[in-house]
Amino acid sequence: MLSVLKNLIRSVAILLLVTFATFCLMFGNGTGIARSILGYQAAEVDVQQKVIELGLDRPLLTQFGDWIAHAVTGNLGESFFTGQTVTSALATRVPVTLTLIVLTLILTVIFSVLLGVAAAVYGGWLDKVLQFISVLGAAIPPFIIAIALIFTFAISVRLLPATGYVSPDQSVTGWIMSITLPIAALLIGSVASAASQFRGAVLDALSKDYVRTLRARGLKESRVIFRHVLRNAGGPGLTVLSLQTLGLLGGAIFVEQVMALPGMGQMANQSAQQGDVPMVMGTVVVTIIIVLCVNLLSDFANTILNPKARTR
Amino acid sequence: MLRSRRRALVSIVTPVAIGIMALTGCTSAGQSGDAAGGTKQETLTLGMTADIQGWDPTIQPGYQGWSADAVWDSLLRCDKNGKPQPSLADKWEFSADQKTATLHIREGAKFTDGTPVDAAAVKANLDYVASAGGAAARWANTTIKSTDDQTVSVSWPEANPLLALRLCEPKIASPESLKSKKFNEPVGSGPYTLDESATTRGSVYTFTKNEEFWDSENFPYKKLVLKVLEDETASINALKTKQLDGTIVSSATLEEAKGAGQNIQTLTGTSTTRLLLTDHEGKKIPALGNLDVRKAMNMVFDREAMSSKLYQGHAKPATQIFREGSDAYIADMADPYPYNVDEAKKLMKKAGFEDGFTLQIPTMKGQNHETLMPYITQQLAQINIKVEQVALSGPNAISEILSGKFPVPLWQLGNYGESVQDITDYVNADGIWNVSHQKDEKVSALWNKVKTSDEAGRKAAQQELNQYVTDQAWFVPMVSMDRFYASNPNITVEESSDYSGLHPLLRDFK
Repeated sequence: MLSVLKNLIRSVAILLLVTFATFCLMFGNGTGIARSILGYQAAEVDVQQKVIELGLDRPLLTQFGDWIAHAVTGNLGESFFTGQTVTSALATRVPVTLTLIVLTLILTVIFSVLLGVAAAVYGGWLDKVLQFISVLGAAIPPFIIAIALIFTFAISVRLLPATGYVSPDQSVTGWIMSITLPIAALLIGSVASAASQFRGAVLDALSKDYVRTLRARGLKESRVIFRHVLRNAGGPGLTVLSLQTLGLLGGAIFVEQVMALPGMGQMANQSAQQGDVPMVMGTVVVTIIIVLCVNLLSDFANTILNPKARTR
Repeated sequence: MLRSRRRALVSIVTPVAIGIMALTGCTSAGQSGDAAGGTKQETLTLGMTADIQGWDPTIQPGYQGWSADAVWDSLLRCDKNGKPQPSLADKWEFSADQKTATLHIREGAKFTDGTPVDAAAVKANLDYVASAGGAAARWANTTIKSTDDQTVSVSWPEANPLLALRLCEPKIASPESLKSKKFNEPVGSGPYTLDESATTRGSVYTFTKNEEFWDSENFPYKKLVLKVLEDETASINALKTKQLDGTIVSSATLEEAKGAGQNIQTLTGTSTTRLLLTDHEGKKIPALGNLDVRKAMNMVFDREAMSSKLYQGHAKPATQIFREGSDAYIADMADPYPYNVDEAKKLMKKAGFEDGFTLQIPTMKGQNHETLMPYITQQLAQINIKVEQVALSGPNAISEILSGKFPVPLWQLGNYGESVQDITDYVNADGIWNVSHQKDEKVSALWNKVKTSDEAGRKAAQQELNQYVTDQAWFVPMVSMDRFYASNPNITVEESSDYSGLHPLLRDFK
């Protein structure tokens, strides 16, 4: 309990620190922000007027204090360009990105556990193939895989859509079709890496004395593997998966661009290019929260799997 | 054992395969408004390479401004030569001194909130444009009067030869929507209205046809969908799989689009790649104050080679900054600075700058600098001009370039059908792209002639200006490049009516 509380406090401190640093970088140049809103034809006097109108002439600490005071009530401000609230924009974008990441993670766990265990237990050609694929998966970025998948399954054979997202409330089958290729693009690299890690962890666990004891006691092999070995191999695997999540967040940005998915990554990219600072801040905050939540969950899951971790 | 494993495999794979085939059958894999049975499609889906900048009518860009053209109408519509055509104003008059425009607003026009488009509404809009920033500088000190319910007059303090263009620019929104200045949703009198329920900001914007629009027969599609596809790979893939009916393509993806059976509309010579040598007084870079140095810089570029190698043949050599066919363009101007590196070296020696100097050139994404800069650096090095590239990015990049910090930008700038606009932006001392803002008496005198002369006199003065800036080597024009628009064969795209020559306008899609 104490360790969970400590982790929570540490996470909040990290959130505040990173948010403040980002805020300073984003809001530091009020004139540039105003000019990017008004266009380069705007007269200097109009630019300065805009700076004052947006409150960008105030000291940075004051601006940050205001921002934090509103943020804790769920008000992350409004887009400088569209007037849309950051919260409402994120409400439509975050589910798309989370859909990709969560489904990819779930499938990663399933496939990487199965493949990792199979490679560790059976060895042979399966093990060699897995090692080869893990190198390939790590070497090829997700957006390259995405392009290849689009070419194969959307352009050459019109099986799946090349771009766009259909929300499940519009059409469930449309939704499944629209997320299949993006998830596949993220999954391939993710499984390749995680399966290799699970393989290593399982091999390590299989070499332990307790496994020999369990087998000597006549326990079924499947029970030995899935009830005992996996549990002990799970700790390192969980760490890898939490790191994978960070990688997936980054990979999702590129996949969303290539496949024109209206997710957080696309929003962050567009906002950064436009200089829509409140939107950028919103995506940064949500991203940090996701990362911190994943770390917290990973630590928590580790304490469940590993009794030694509970006593720390 | 082997047989049971095979059975297990088949029992898993077969339902999965059937499931995939069923799902494919259930959805259209993102077909956009495909015509069925030979009937015309009802939805037009266009790709945009950048998102809409919000619904403030004063900050709408001309480039990819289909969303603004959809929801709002303008007072006048300028054709591809910049000549005014009826729009919300069905009749108009420009005073002989080019200071005042009087416009009659067509009867019966209404905003989609039911309020009338009348003189009061137009005045409210123009008052907002003059105060709101953005292009407000162009409307500074104007006097706007509504002389009766349907008539508005706009007066500038000085003669303005761009009266027509100025009146083609502002979008007319419902005055109610201007009051709050929030602009969450556009309310106009244009050919379409925004359908918020089918819109995801930053991704897909859906519009439904406004049957009350006065010119609705020129907008045959019942629905307009604009998809934001910033990545060129994504947009070309969407085009190939018919998720889009049309999108802008670059020379990099042109052949791919052609190979996929797309129709290509080429807008020729509507942009010119050029170095702008704005420091002709030599205040920041003394060498640029010498005419021979500026001439020498013109003579080290092989424009033919640039057109064929750097632009893959999709450009032609440019010796003037003005568009062919515009009033300022001199049709029989011989190449004033033919490619001749030896002659350029002689000029540099004569000017006393044989050892050259260092020149900072700012670069940015989206301007083809990655392709151009190696050649430009190489060629300027032939006359000992050492180029230092300064990479700019982010929201401040454009303002930095226009601030005058770098007196010699390299840019692919549009040349307008109305060349007076080019002079305003590139030649006049207060021109946006004349970043050093140095006054020149001859230019001021000729500009005065442009402002105060009749049509023939205006054209003559513009050509004289063109000749002057060419003789003075204020620019290093290199090539006039082509722009491309790709569309599916199932739609008709008429020749672009855009006076900026950037791409087809919404009314060009039939």
